[in-house]
Amino acid sequence: MTQPVSADVETGAPAPEEPPPQIKLTPKEWVATNLFGTWYDSLLTVVFGIGIGIAVFFGLRFIFITARWEIIRVGLTSLMVGLFPRPELWRVWVALFVVVLSVGFAVGGARRMVLAELDQEGDVATLGLRPRVDWLQLLRRLWPVLAFLVVILAFSESVQTALWLILLLGGTYATYYLGSRLPRSAARHWLVAGLIGMVAAFGIVIWFGGVGWDDWGGLMLTLFLAVAAILLSFPLGVLAALGRRSSLPGIKVVSVAYIELIRGVPLITLLITGQLMLGLFFPRDVVPGLVVRSIIMLTLFTGAYVAEIVRGGLQGVPQGQYEAAQALGLSPPQMMRRIVLPQALRNVIPALVGQFISLFKDTSLVAVIGLADLLRVARFQLPAQGAFAGQGLFAETMLFAGFVYWVFAYTMSRESQRLERRLGVGER
Amino acid sequence: MKSTRLLAVLAALVLVLAACEGDAQEDVTTTAADGATTTAADGATTTAGDGTTTAPGDGAADGESLLDEVTARGSLVCGVNDAVPGFGFVGDDGTFAGFDIEFCRVVAAAVLGDSEAVEFRVLTAAERFTALQTGEIDVLIRNTTFTATRDGTEGATFLTTTFYDGQGMMVRADSGFASIDDMANTDICVLQGTTTELNITTLSQARGLDMQNVTFEDNSALQAAFEAGQCDGWTSDRSQLAGVRSQFPEGPEALTILDEVISKEPLGPVSRDGDDDWSDAVNWAVIATIQAEEFGITSANIDDFMETDDPEIARFLGLPDPTEGTVFDPGLGLPTDFAQQVIRQVGNYAEIYERNVGEDGLGLERGFNALWTEGGILYPPPYR
Amino acid sequence: MTSETARAQVRPPFWRDVRILKVVIQAIFLVIIVTVGWLLWNNLIGNMRASGLPTGFDFLDRPAGFTIIDSDFRPAQTNLDAILVGVKNTILVSAVGIVLATVIGVLIGIARLSRNYLVRKSAAFYVESLRNVPVLLIIFFASLAIIGRALPQLENAWQVEGLFLISNRVIAVPWLASSGEATFPAVLPAVFLAIPAAALTYVWLRRRELRESVRRALLVAAPLAAFLLAGGAVLAFVGEPSQVSAAVTFWTSLLTVVTLAVRVAAWRTRLSDTTGRPHHRVLWALGTFVVLGAVVYVLLGAPLDLTGPRLEQRRISGGISMIQAYAALLVALTLYTASHIAEIVRGSIQAVPRGQTEAATALALSPTQRMRFVILPQAFRIMVPPLANQYLNLTKNTSLGVAIGFQELTTVTGTVIGNGNPASQSIAILMLIYLTFSLLISLVTNIINRRLQMAGRR
Repeated sequence: MTQPVSADVETGAPAPEEPPPQIKLTPKEWVATNLFGTWYDSLLTVVFGIGIGIAVFFGLRFIFITARWEIIRVGLTSLMVGLFPRPELWRVWVALFVVVLSVGFAVGGARRMVLAELDQEGDVATLGLRPRVDWLQLLRRLWPVLAFLVVILAFSESVQTALWLILLLGGTYATYYLGSRLPRSAARHWLVAGLIGMVAAFGIVIWFGGVGWDDWGGLMLTLFLAVAAILLSFPLGVLAALGRRSSLPGIKVVSVAYIELIRGVPLITLLITGQLMLGLFFPRDVVPGLVVRSIIMLTLFTGAYVAEIVRGGLQGVPQGQYEAAQALGLSPPQMMRRIVLPQALRNVIPALVGQFISLFKDTSLVAVIGLADLLRVARFQLPAQGAFAGQGLFAETMLFAGFVYWVFAYTMSRESQRLERRLGVGER
Repeated sequence: MKSTRLLAVLAALVLVLAACEGDAQEDVTTTAADGATTTAADGATTTAGDGTTTAPGDGAADGESLLDEVTARGSLVCGVNDAVPGFGFVGDDGTFAGFDIEFCRVVAAAVLGDSEAVEFRVLTAAERFTALQTGEIDVLIRNTTFTATRDGTEGATFLTTTFYDGQGMMVRADSGFASIDDMANTDICVLQGTTTELNITTLSQARGLDMQNVTFEDNSALQAAFEAGQCDGWTSDRSQLAGVRSQFPEGPEALTILDEVISKEPLGPVSRDGDDDWSDAVNWAVIATIQAEEFGITSANIDDFMETDDPEIARFLGLPDPTEGTVFDPGLGLPTDFAQQVIRQVGNYAEIYERNVGEDGLGLERGFNALWTEGGILYPPPYR
Repeated sequence: MTSETARAQVRPPFWRDVRILKVVIQAIFLVIIVTVGWLLWNNLIGNMRASGLPTGFDFLDRPAGFTIIDSDFRPAQTNLDAILVGVKNTILVSAVGIVLATVIGVLIGIARLSRNYLVRKSAAFYVESLRNVPVLLIIFFASLAIIGRALPQLENAWQVEGLFLISNRVIAVPWLASSGEATFPAVLPAVFLAIPAAALTYVWLRRRELRESVRRALLVAAPLAAFLLAGGAVLAFVGEPSQVSAAVTFWTSLLTVVTLAVRVAAWRTRLSDTTGRPHHRVLWALGTFVVLGAVVYVLLGAPLDLTGPRLEQRRISGGISMIQAYAALLVALTLYTASHIAEIVRGSIQAVPRGQTEAATALALSPTQRMRFVILPQAFRIMVPPLANQYLNLTKNTSLGVAIGFQELTTVTGTVIGNGNPASQSIAILMLIYLTFSLLISLVTNIINRRLQMAGRR
């Protein structure tokens, strides 16, 4: 049924390989092989079928019938922004728009650069490829995010929120489309555009009479802690990894001491240090607030793990690269910057993303030291409010918080796997 | 790799031991310089509050009182709770509310003239006294019980008690327990790290009841456990138990609070040792609310008292004396009209009580927390 | 150009000479580190003094003033004793958690590769939901919703008298307890502990490359020295009175029995190598263990009894019981770590080259044989480093017991600090203990890893 695809006459590129022929099973055959292959399989199918049925029944019954979701409805704003002063909430909305739109633009620009790689001249039109969005594939890819938006809409008490979110979605697509249509010379700066957007959003909330981060809470604080720690720990980790591999014993000992000391202790002890002891290291009048101290400890923690990951990546760069760079007369800093580090980091992108996902989940530990992040609001603050005090609505709040964390972590890990496949990491 | 890790651990050990070394010399100088202080029995450690080398009776270590610092800063940093219904919690509009929170506002209104000029720091039980000692917070208003140990070793000064309470035990009405002595071999739910926990342990040991403590971080989890039957009894301040009982979903009859009062629990604001100016200022700000109730002044009717003939009330509100025309200033470092600010912006003790733990809040009776003229033990010292 | 000038021109100026630069850079770096470190330290001590916080470690000898549930700890005992009880609790959770998580994780990892669609998808659902949720949240959920709500109250506990009891307050299972008052001289357990020490020394030395002249002498002297040292250490530890209970004697004797069983397995392997017959070494080792263990048991006069849990007046007598906080922490950590271990197991099995599977099929091995003899051994080698990492993570995650009031090390330290003891010193001790744990676990897994690597080519 498929025809052989001939080589492209214009560009001379070889014909793409055909995938192996797929054996299509009829539904009956599929059930027979996958579910009832052997007697053992059949037994498993029956047992698991019953188990899953029971679990699904009780689960759905809880979610739709027995659970009392008012606590989420009432506390949705607190879960999202914590103690953020409500009159200034417009800043958060504006910042959200700026961030999402600029990220949409950046993704569009990145896609444009990827497409341009296929074409020597760089003009999209001559390729015959249009950056059209495959809706079905996008749905399968981003269904957790959509589920998240649906859940938020279900719990939000105003129609306004729904309208804003729809506007946000539409705007994201618009900026994505815009970014993917730009000439290559403009789309080249997609990363800078994204970063400027994030800085601008941050500034909108903080500057011009805004709200300092000591008053942030909820999901906003969680994301802030994670992003800040990620950005700060990355250079620290790279430096520590290079220091560990250094031949200078002074630098090596210090790097090793840092990495091994931090990796040997649990994160909660570091956060408790930040809470109770770190303030004593500063002169009395410049002690930073708990948020900054937590970011410091999270950065130190993640930096040590990033260092180990980057060290593994550096070990994966063939010795020949070092020797060739030296033969070309590059100085050690130049060699690192232009030859070694790009290859090393490319190899460990999946591990790095995994570490950052881990960091995102670990920010929940600040709930134990008193910062009003998403988990603290859900577990401690909401159940103590007047209307809900003493009713033990923990299952509801924990499930909601768990769902939010899950959406972010799952989406990030899926995208990382996709990126891994795209970059061809691990393939020789 | 193994050797480098060993090196790291050894380095840590050396650091820790060096701390010991450094301390040995310092103790000599501090105990020598400070004449009239109490050191611990072993003499080697300096207990909190007398580790400074300033003469006794002085302000804080750097010579400046917190009173000046707070006034200069323009805001009060108050250590609070965020998960205790009625006393310190976060409302659904994202603002702090509760009995203790309002007393933070009282202090701010008195010292700074603005009850909204407060920064709230949520503190866990482990860090509350450390935060006070290191100066991270100015005052601790967090449901804290006044005990000798805390006054002594933890560098804290306890001010006027704002809430007199006692520790009690609550059980299910159908459990058959008539008194605590019936409760041998039971599991008792209690909050972690509180005097409540210590008291019930002492009682259990003294009477040979072999009670086991099941500890929790916050009341919500504790109540959930109690309702699920994970413990036979719930011990806490009687006011809290009464509040829970009055709002119990199965009705108040399902629970019984045993008659015995296990211990006294006076709750009040806490300030740091060694700063008398600040402690006095905070103390009288709090006393003002009780005095206001005694005079019958509320936030609603205070304007009626602005032209009063009563010299006591005039003095209290910082108005010129009706006969002599002078304004009274007791030298506390507070503005002369601080009582007015407090009453106008927050209210008197009765209003604060009813709003948070009384009729409009947890539903508790005044009990001991009424004025001495009404059968309670609130007895404000005279403002003269 | 003369050779001298040529030589003179070869040397670069000192500001570009790599050798000098190396030293200078190190010096500058160390100066910066030391200066910053000294500044921070100064601030720390200065601020502590100014706030009146003591800077010594004498607080360790003060009475703790709190109780620790499920232990014999009295409030009059010292803070240091409290911390040690916390360490014991941490070890309890870690050890049981590691075993359970491995068992469950391996099962689920293999289930993810099952041919059965439902099994595969269920395992995938389990892994993907638990892996992407913070462990603290799972701990809260286990404590509040699972243990608290899903299990019955004590009056209606699921129980089989003398066998097990499950309630939302306590979970109890049968366990061995010491029976009778018999005691034995302390020399006996000392010997029982010294024998494995000597055997380990012997085995370790035998693998080393030593000069022939010293080798024979060392192979006799070193195990002997280890024997005497270990025995002496135990005797010194026990001190006076030098009588030890029969139960402890039995447990220590098991170590010697294990050593003997391992030697038997090694003997059978050697025998099989020379004669070519199957060695059945696992059966032989197990058999030795059981037989010798039974012999020692009888010789010591039946020192242990299997007791089942019995509910009397709201308390459990007999067996071993888990309090709710311990059960919640254990369940949460087991489920969370198992999801990570499942991924590691799956990845390791998939990382075994496809050619192995195909060759095994070509040799007409059944699927079970294929798994057992070809794939799993190779997968095991790949698995060990990431598994070790997960065990380390589990041990460190026990510190989250502080969130549900389970009195492991971090919680106890938090209580000690909350009672007015200095925070900096307490935290320093806390970190040191965790560092020691990490070091120990890493050491053990490094040894196992090295043994595995020696056998293969990678």
